[in-house]
Amino acid sequence: VVADDTMLTRQGIVRLLRDANIEVVAEAQDAQGLLHQVRLARPDVALVDIRMPPTHTDEGLVAAQAIRAEHPQVGVLVLSQYVEPSYALRLLQEHPERVGYLLKERVFDIATVVDALRRIADGETVIDPTIVARLVGRRRQQDPLAVLSEREREVLGLIAEGLSNRAIAARLYVTERTVEAHTTQIFQKLHLPESPDQHRRVLAVLTYLRA
Amino acid sequence: LTRRANLARLAAAPIALAVGLGALAVAQGPGRFTTYAGHSGLAASLTVTAGLALVAAGLVTSFSRPAGQIGDLALLAGLVWFAPVWVGWDKGPPLVRSLGMLAAGFTFPLLLHLVLAYPSGQLRGTAARVLIAAAYLEAALVALGQALFRDPFYDPNCWANCTDNDFLVRSLPQLARAIEATDRWFTVAAATALVALCARRLLQDSGPARRAVLPVIPAAILLAGAVTAHAVALQRRLLEDPSDPAFRTIFALGCTAVILLAAGLVWATVRTRIQRRAVARIATNLGQAPPPGSLQAALAQAVGDPELRITYWLPNAEHYVDATGRPVAEPVAAPGRAITTLVRDGRQIAVVSHTAALPELERELGAAVRLALENERLQAEALAQLDQLRASRIRIVETSDSERRRLERDLHDGAQQRLLALSYDLRLAHASAQADGDAPTGTLLTETTDHALAALGELRELAHGIYPAILAEAGLTPALASLADAAPLPVELHTVAQGRYPAAVETATYLLVAEALEDAAGRDASHATVSVVRTGERLVVTVQDNGTDRTSAMVQLADRIGALDGQLTVEPTRLRAELLCG
Repeated sequence: VVADDTMLTRQGIVRLLRDANIEVVAEAQDAQGLLHQVRLARPDVALVDIRMPPTHTDEGLVAAQAIRAEHPQVGVLVLSQYVEPSYALRLLQEHPERVGYLLKERVFDIATVVDALRRIADGETVIDPTIVARLVGRRRQQDPLAVLSEREREVLGLIAEGLSNRAIAARLYVTERTVEAHTTQIFQKLHLPESPDQHRRVLAVLTYLRA
Repeated sequence: LTRRANLARLAAAPIALAVGLGALAVAQGPGRFTTYAGHSGLAASLTVTAGLALVAAGLVTSFSRPAGQIGDLALLAGLVWFAPVWVGWDKGPPLVRSLGMLAAGFTFPLLLHLVLAYPSGQLRGTAARVLIAAAYLEAALVALGQALFRDPFYDPNCWANCTDNDFLVRSLPQLARAIEATDRWFTVAAATALVALCARRLLQDSGPARRAVLPVIPAAILLAGAVTAHAVALQRRLLEDPSDPAFRTIFALGCTAVILLAAGLVWATVRTRIQRRAVARIATNLGQAPPPGSLQAALAQAVGDPELRITYWLPNAEHYVDATGRPVAEPVAAPGRAITTLVRDGRQIAVVSHTAALPELERELGAAVRLALENERLQAEALAQLDQLRASRIRIVETSDSERRRLERDLHDGAQQRLLALSYDLRLAHASAQADGDAPTGTLLTETTDHALAALGELRELAHGIYPAILAEAGLTPALASLADAAPLPVELHTVAQGRYPAAVETATYLLVAEALEDAAGRDASHATVSVVRTGERLVVTVQDNGTDRTSAMVQLADRIGALDGQLTVEPTRLRAELLCG
C-alpha cells in the first residue's frame, strides 16, 4: 500500500516500485484511506508520507504507529522530505521493528528502497543514511565518538541505519565475525548495553547519538 | 438671576428674625393662653429655636449649594412655622390672623418636600412626586375651603382665632368641620407614606447615597410621629388646648423634630464643605507624576464613594478608556449612580461615574483637579496608543511567522513534490534508456537526475531555513535538537524546557538560537551552550559561546523579542532573552 496525498509523487513511487517488480496492492491519499486499505489488503509493508490531510503535520507518523499496533505483521516505511532525527526516533520508540524512515529522494535509487522493503518485511529496522550521517557527523565538544576507530565509526553508522551484522559484513567486504568484534568493541567503548535484539540496538545507538 | 435670588434670601434673614421675634411677642402678650409658646418658657424657646433654626439652616444650605431648592424649602418652612403663633394675636389685625390661619397648613407639606427632595433638591421616584403634589394640593384646598366657608365665630372647637376670617364668603360650619377632619386623616396618611419612603431609601440606596440622606431621616421619622399623634389627639379631643399635657408633649416632639432637621442640614453642609476641600486638595496631594489611576482612587476616597470611576474619551480611537489606557464600556447612569461629564475649553476631558448622592461634583472639582484630570487623560491616550502599537508589533511578527510557515508549506507541497515526481520520471526514463541500450541518453539522464537531486537538497534546506516544520509540529525540544545536529559548531543543549508555548514564543526562541549559533560560528567560537528555562511566567533563553566579542547589536532579534514584550540582553559572547509565555 502506498499512501501520499500528492498524486504526482504517489504515482511516481508506484511506477518505480512496479518497475522493480514490487506488487502495489492499493493506494491511499490520506491516513484514513491508508488504514482502511491496510486492513483490507494486509500488505507486507505500507509506504507512508509523513504529511497528509487534514492537518498536513504528522498524520503519517500517527498512522504508522496505528498500523504497527493493529497489524504486527505489516511493516511501515515512512517517506519524508525532512532530515529530522526526531521523527525517526519517534517512529522507532514504540515499535522499533518492521519500521523504516527514508527520505523521499531515496525512492529514486529504487534498489535501496527495494532492499529497505525486504528488510522491513524480514522484521528489521531501516533508517536513512543521511539522517545517520547527520547524527554521527554532529559537532561535539568532547566527541565521545573520538574513542572509536575510523572503521568502528563506519560500523556504528551502519548499525544505526538498521543493518544486521551480516549485511554490514557484506557492505564492508569483511567477515561477519569481524563485524561482531567491531560491534562488541563499539558497545564497550560507548558503555552501551549490548542487545541481541537488532532493532533495540538501532534505537539504543540513535538515542545515544542524539543525546 | 442667581444674584437676585441670593439678595432675596439675604433679605429673608431679617424678615425671619422679625417674624420670629414678633411671634415671641405675640405669645408673651395677647396669645398667652392661645399659643403653646405662651404657656411656658420652654415651649417659647422651642418654638423660636425651631423656626429660626430652619431659617438659618436654609440660608447656610442655599449659600453653599445654590443649585438645590433644599435651602429655599427650609427657609420658607421656617417662616411659615411661626404662622400658628400669629393666629393667636388677639385683637391684632384680622388680615394677619386670617393669613396665618391659611399659611399654617403649609408647614408640613414644605417639610415633607424638603425631606424627600434631600439632598439633590430633585424628587426621586413617582411615589415621592405624587405624595408631594398631593400634599401641596390638599393644603391648598383645605386653606381655600377654610378661607371661604369657615366662620370661626360658629366653630365650637375654635381655639386661637375665634373671630377673624377676612375671606369668608359663606359660613358653612359643617363643611368646615368636614374639611378639618379630612385634613387630619390626610396628614396621618401622608406621615405614614413619608416613613415608608424613608425606609425604602435606607434599604435601597448604596453606601454613599445612604450616608447622604442620614442627616434628615431621624428628624423626618420623628416629625411623622408628631404630626400623626397630633392628628389622632385632635380627632379624640376636637379642641386643641395648649395647656393639655398630651398636646404639649406632642408639640415639644414636633419642635424637636424640626430642630433636628435643621441641625442635620447644617451638619451635612459642613461635611460637604470638608469633602469639597478634600477634593480640591487632591491635585496638590498627588504630587508631580502620579501613577495612572491614583486620581480615581484619591477622588473616590475624598467623596467617600469607592465605586467612583473616571473614564476618558479618546476622540481619535472613538472609545472610552481608563487611566491606564485600557478600553472600557461607555459609562451610563444607573439607579443610585450618576454621570458627570467634565469639559475644559469646550473639550470633554473626563466622565466621572459616581453615586447620585454627589449632585454637584462638577462644581466641586476645581481648576487644579481639572488640570490633573487633563494630564491623566493625555497619559491614558498615550498609554492606549502604546497598547495599540504593541498589538500591531505583535501582529507584524505573527503575520511574518505565518507567512513563513505558508511559504514552507507551499515549497514542500508544491515545488519539492514536483521535483520529486520529476526525478522519479527521470529515473524511469533512465531505466528504459538502459533497457534500449541507449548509453548517451542514459548518461545524460543520470546527469540530469543528479541536478534534480541537488536542487531537491537545496530546496529542502531553503524550506527548512524559512520555517522548520518540526517546530510547529513537535515544539522546541526536537526543533532545537535538530538545530544542534546541523550546527556548524558543537552545541550543548544544557536544558530545554519541555512542553509547548505560544507559537510566537517558540518561533522567537528558535530564531534566537539559530541566529546566535550562526553568529557564534562567524566569531570563530568552538562551542556554544544553549539553555531554555521556564521561570514562572517567563521563558528565559540563553546562548553562551566562546568566540570573539560580538559586534552586531542583533537588532532584528531585539525587535522580534521586543514585539512580544520580551527583553533581549546582548553581551559580547552571550545572548539572553526573556519572553512572556503566559
